[in-house]
Order: sequence, then structure tokens, then C-alpha cells
Amino acid sequence: MTFSEYVVSRWDTLSLAAAEHALVVAVAIGIATAVGVGIGLLTYETPKARGASLALSAGILTIPSLALLTLLIPFTGLGWGSTLIALTGYAFLPIIRNTVTGLRGVDAATVEAGRGMGLSSARVLLRVRLPLAWPLILAGVRISTQMLIGIAAIAAYVDGPGLGNQIFEGLARLGSVNSLNATLAGTLGIVVIAVLFDAGFSAVRLLTTPRGLRVRP
Amino acid sequence: MFDRDPAGVRIELRELTKHYPGQPAPAVDNVSLDIPAGELVVFVGPSGCGKTTTMKMINRLVEPTSGQIRIGGQDVLGLHPDELRRHIGYAIQQVGLFPHLTVGQNVAMVPKLLGWPAAKVAARVEELLELVSLDPGTFRDRYPRQLSGGQQQRVGVARALAADPPVMLMDEPFGATDPITREHLQNEFAKLQKQLRKTIIFVTHDFEEAIRLGDRIAVLRERSHIAQYDTPANILAAPADDYVAGFIGQDATLKRLALLRVEDVPYESPLPDPALPAVAAGATLREALDTMVAHAADRCSTPSGVITYAALCGAVGTAHEQAPEEVTAGDR
Repeated sequence: MTFSEYVVSRWDTLSLAAAEHALVVAVAIGIATAVGVGIGLLTYETPKARGASLALSAGILTIPSLALLTLLIPFTGLGWGSTLIALTGYAFLPIIRNTVTGLRGVDAATVEAGRGMGLSSARVLLRVRLPLAWPLILAGVRISTQMLIGIAAIAAYVDGPGLGNQIFEGLARLGSVNSLNATLAGTLGIVVIAVLFDAGFSAVRLLTTPRGLRVRP
Repeated sequence: MFDRDPAGVRIELRELTKHYPGQPAPAVDNVSLDIPAGELVVFVGPSGCGKTTTMKMINRLVEPTSGQIRIGGQDVLGLHPDELRRHIGYAIQQVGLFPHLTVGQNVAMVPKLLGWPAAKVAARVEELLELVSLDPGTFRDRYPRQLSGGQQQRVGVARALAADPPVMLMDEPFGATDPITREHLQNEFAKLQKQLRKTIIFVTHDFEEAIRLGDRIAVLRERSHIAQYDTPANILAAPADDYVAGFIGQDATLKRLALLRVEDVPYESPLPDPALPAVAAGATLREALDTMVAHAADRCSTPSGVITYAALCGAVGTAHEQAPEEVTAGDR
């Protein structure tokens, strides 16, 4: 069977796996963005809290994915639960780091002018700092997403959703019928998902970056 | 609040002190100062003398350690800082426009915070942009990054004036522009203030700027101690001590001539003399002197008569010797 024949004949399985792969990444990124940006907003001004949140999220990232997924099995079992928790944990560092860097990088004069004209500190944060930091925050989310799309393949080890199953099945049966096709389909599928997500982020960046930051002098 | 009358209110500083924790000496030490309603007072002094800190205590960007601040008789230390700041215009050297908002949105920020109706805000933005000589149609929807440095400074001034506050604090608002743009902005601003009569505290380290704009000048030394507080003419005529004299520089008399206008000086003969070099009625005496020296003449024709070198000397209170007659003898 050629590769294209394999893809056509297994289209239902493959497309479902791809959709699940994209979904689990999207859900994990959604949660990590909400929580991570929140942590960034709360900690960017206090050096201790900022250092702690960055150290913790960096610490999570040092745990090998296979080990983390296995460690989670006693608590959240096989499948979606463990996959989602592990992926969410891995996504924090780029998001928190970029949120903090973006919020702190806003021009001091702009903030002083805002305070000087009577914006409360909450207003300065939400109306001035956050919109100005947004392109950098979005870049962090984008990096996390690309990272998670790759890591999500490992989730097949704990019976998680996604295209990882194709890859591991193929590798386990290497040499038998369709083993190479399965591995290839899983890998290429992940590449396609990564490219689509990235295109999506380009569009989101274009649509959500304030126009004043995009204009050329 | 104190801004029922947008035409300016009196500011009183009483024994104002700012002592940062862990520092051996206070940054601002026991400053008392009265700023009359509708006047522009310039704080001038070297970098680090505490002039900016003193100014920032008035809108409480810096909280005083002790002392009192009253604006229009009201104790501002009893007010909510954010609420207070919405009634005090604030313009700084780096301007600090919000880059993600248009010029119009930048100017509209404080009026919107104060809950003005949208139509009133829009009309105010239009009025202010015209006031600072920016065409509203062209500039309202532009972003700060699309403006030159001078245009940004103008928007900064318009934004500070937005809610028509009776008090303005300005920290070297024209400092970041080139000398030509700066002089232009200063002249425009002086004209604007003549019309608005706000109570303004203006911080600079440039004594020339202080003379050009100030109704009064407070020359500050370290820890914001007031070395002299008087009108520019009085400070130039009688500097309180060597410190002030050093700040003025060598050409105090020329600077005083620059403060006076040709039309303010009594002219000699009743008719303008077409044979003499001419100066405009609105020109400064410094320009008149320049014209006299350039033409080796001791008199200039003005639209309403002739002014003499002696009249210039009289204007700054120095006795005039007959010597210049010889200079011009061959000329006539």
C-alpha cells in the first residue's frame, strides 16, 4: 500500500486523531494562557513572586514528558486528564516569561504620564501596559503552542488523544505492513497541525495588535 | 474640587519636605512658596536639586514626608491622588503619549475619565488640537509614532490641557526637541498662556527658557532650597547672591533688554525717521540694540517715533555716558 492509499483508507482514524491532537493542544493552551497571563499580571511588579513563578514554570519544563505523564497516572489515570495536565504545565514558562517581560518593558514615561493624568494603577495596567505588552504575550503563547504540538505526540504512551498513536504503533511494528506509513502519517499530520496553528497565530496577531503599534512612522 | 474656576488658582507650599528612607539628607527640605493664581512660575536649578521632586509632590506622584500643599485653599493631601491628578494638567519631557491610541484618544483620556458626554469630548479634542496648531482633520486619527518630536510635544500639552484644569505641572515639556523647534514651541506656549492664565509650575534647568516664559522664577539650590524667588527682571537686575549670579551668566543686562519691548520705552522725537534703521514695535530692546550696533547708529526708528541708546540704558536703569555719540558721528 502506498502512503497516499494508506491515508485515504485510514482517513477516518487519521482525521479524528488529528482533530483530537489539535483540540487537546488548544484546550491546554487556553488554560495556560488564562492562568499564565493572570500570574504575570499579579507578579510582574514583585521581584520575589515573579522569580518564584518563573522558577516553578521553568522547573516543570525540565521534567521529561514521558516521566511526567507516567507520574500523573496514579492521580488522573490514563487518557485525556493526564495529557491535558502535563501539556498545560509545559506551556507556562514562555507565557509567563513573555507576559512579565512585556509588562515591565513598557516605557516608564508612558506609565508616568498615565499616573500623572489620574489613571488608577489598575487602569494603567489594563489600559496601557497590557495592550502594549500584548504582541509579546502573544509571541509567548505561540512558542508554547508549537512546543505542545510536539509534546502532545508523547501522550500516546498514556493512552492520550492525538497523532502520537500512529507514530508509536508504527514504530512498535517496524518492518510489518503499513508500519512506515503509520509513522509517516502521524509525523506529517503533526507538521500540518503546527503549520495551521502558526498561520492562525499570524492572523490573530494581525487582528489584535493595536494599530498604533503596527504603523510605520 | 478647586477647579470650578478654570482660570487658575493659588498654590501654597508650606514647609514641604521629602526624605527618602535610607538617605542621609532630605531630597526636598522645608520648602515654602506661594504661587499666585494665573501665573507661570519656573523652578530653575541644576540637575538633582530637587525641583522635579518638589513639583511631583503637588500632584502626589511623590508623597511628601511632611508639610502642606494647598491649591485654591484646599488641602490636597486630604484628596484621593487619582482624583486630584485628573484636575491637574501634567506634561513631561519624554511626553509619554500612549502609542496604541490615536492623538484624539490620547487627548480625550482625562475628559472621558471625568465622565464628559461624548459630543463634548469630541468638540474639546478639536478645540485643543487647533489651540496647539495641529489641524484636527489631519492629526486626530494619527498615532504618536507617526508624529515628529515637536508634534508629539504639542499633543502632550493639548492632553495636559484636556479637562481645562486650573493648574498645570510641566517638567521640561519642550526639552526633547531641537533648539529651533523648542524656541518656536516656547513662543507659542507663551502666547497660549497669555490667553489661558493657568497657574503653571514649569521645571527647567535652562535659565533662558525660564526668562522667556516665567512670570516669576524660583532659583533653587540643592535640596530645593530657594535661592531667590522673584520676577525675571528683578532677578536679572539684582541677583540675591553669587549662586544666582552664576546661574544668570555674564550677559544679565542683555537678557534684561530681551525682556522689554520697543513699544514699552519712551521714544524721543514724535515722528519715525526713515533715514534711521527701523525696528518693529513688538521687537525686544535686545533686537533694537542689535540693530543699532549693526548699523553703528545710536538710534532706531520705530513705527511711533525714534528710540535712542540712552533710552535703552534708561530702561535697564544704567546711566548713559556720551561716548556713543562719537561712534555715530560719522554716520550723520
